[in-house]
Amino acid sequence: MSAEVLVFDILGAIAVLAAAGVVLARNPVHSALALVVSFVNVAAIYVILRAEFLAAAQIIVYTGAILVLVLFVIMLVDPDNLPEFHGGRPVQRLLALILGLALLGEVMAAILTRTIVGQPGPWSPQAVAAVGGNTQALGRVLYSGYVLPIQVTAVLLLAATIGALVLARPDTPRVRALVRDTATISLAHPRGSEMANGVEPALPALAAGQLKLEAGERTLVMAKSGDDFLDQPVWGERHQS
Amino acid sequence: MNWAAFLSNYIFAFIVLNVMLGLMAYMTYFERKVLAAMQDRVGPKRTGPFGLLQPIADGIKLLAKEDIVPKNADRLVFLVAPLLSFVLAPLSAAVIPFGGTVTVFGQEVNLYVADINVAVLYVLALGGMGVYGIILGGYASANRYSLLGALRSAAQVISYEIVLGLSLVGVFILSGTLSLVQILEAQQQPLSFGGVQVPNWYILSQPLGFVLFLIAAVAETNRAPFDLPEAESELIGGFHTEYSGFRFSFFFLAEYINMIAVSLLAATLFLGGTDGPIADGVWWLAAKAALFLFFYIWLRTTLPRFRYDQLMGLAWKVLLPLALINIALTGLIRLWGLGLL
Repeated sequence: MSAEVLVFDILGAIAVLAAAGVVLARNPVHSALALVVSFVNVAAIYVILRAEFLAAAQIIVYTGAILVLVLFVIMLVDPDNLPEFHGGRPVQRLLALILGLALLGEVMAAILTRTIVGQPGPWSPQAVAAVGGNTQALGRVLYSGYVLPIQVTAVLLLAATIGALVLARPDTPRVRALVRDTATISLAHPRGSEMANGVEPALPALAAGQLKLEAGERTLVMAKSGDDFLDQPVWGERHQS
Repeated sequence: MNWAAFLSNYIFAFIVLNVMLGLMAYMTYFERKVLAAMQDRVGPKRTGPFGLLQPIADGIKLLAKEDIVPKNADRLVFLVAPLLSFVLAPLSAAVIPFGGTVTVFGQEVNLYVADINVAVLYVLALGGMGVYGIILGGYASANRYSLLGALRSAAQVISYEIVLGLSLVGVFILSGTLSLVQILEAQQQPLSFGGVQVPNWYILSQPLGFVLFLIAAVAETNRAPFDLPEAESELIGGFHTEYSGFRFSFFFLAEYINMIAVSLLAATLFLGGTDGPIADGVWWLAAKAALFLFFYIWLRTTLPRFRYDQLMGLAWKVLLPLALINIALTGLIRLWGLGLL
């Protein structure tokens, strides 16, 4: 057994174990971390295969950007508030099990019967070396034979970006305007001129305060003291139930 | 396998790693001295001659402190996060070329640890991984200030990594390679305009790319004025609020090593690295990197911290369009302009 095969076995085993950890971990952040480990090991396997560009892209795009965003979202969610994260929904679980086994069977069948052994393409190691390395070779292939798919992908991603912007926008122009000009409440307070004669005047009653802008349908929270605010669930706080 | 070459490479990597760790300690001394000079103070001067033993005293102090783990912390993640930051930080020095090839005891030794053909992408990938230390540290602390610092860091690093990557595309277009060794070689060929020799440093042909890289690099290393993940006036200590002792020092050291690594990278990519007017060598690289490190500290003393929305607005509305314009212009010049010269 050559050193390369040994290294591949180690990396592959870690990647598979980490992938199992993604499903088995009870804390979603741990799941995401296991996925990071799995991705990094897959990237290392790409390096053994001399696909350095693919390895770097895998780390930068998947580990460095997409999984960071996934973690970003997960960290804002309280794991205790996810009743369906584990257990429940027996139909879904059964369906997932059947589909998973079907996929596993397909892949195993393809591997065992050796029907997915690819034919070597025009890019032999010599041809790759002739254009200056696999990054250059990849660039040549992508931007000559596959220009249209790349452009289509770019347009698709642009559409997705615009779609996300539209979804994140408040519904109507009226609400949008309200979000922009948030209503301010001016609490009653002594004026400077009243302070001038050296006597500190008594605070005006709370009722003397005014609402500066039309608040629309937004709920305004009026709190007399700091404790009033604490009755409401604060962002990120664990609920005692 | 050529064991002698392998061993010499290994020894060189060992030297680079240790020099980086030593430099990092004295980077804190340099920062405190420069800060003090700019604020009309004296800075450390009691510990040893000129206060030169101060970093060592600081190191011993941090190592000897109690290592506290908060009760509600996600224990394993909390313990691993600073290690992750610290381990990944010096790795990017592996692709920096410190010179060509020298002969030691009849053995050819490359003055770089590895000439990877995707070296620049490798550095960017390390930057992308390094943010996990901050995010996980902030999450695992079970502290709202830490979590806020981690979230800010996640958003900031993703935004500025895009700018960082795109600002370098102009250099790739001009040099036609992603290998730092070859980018350095491309810069060592001087251009001549009518008998006048001009160094082919990419700062001259890519001034916009250089400025964008510099801004994005400061943001990537979480330094002032982009140090929102640890903004002490709003978030106490940000992601490292709950860390103490040597685990805190790992975050601290990782930040300084990242600064040094980014300075070396900037010097190699834009300022011609080891190339100089006389006697090319690693001292030119050191001088240029020191310039960037001084610039970092200068920024810290001069500029107030950005507000969070300004930070994001700057990345997406100003720097990103500029980076795209730079790529388009460089591409056009590469296509048609070079023939006109």
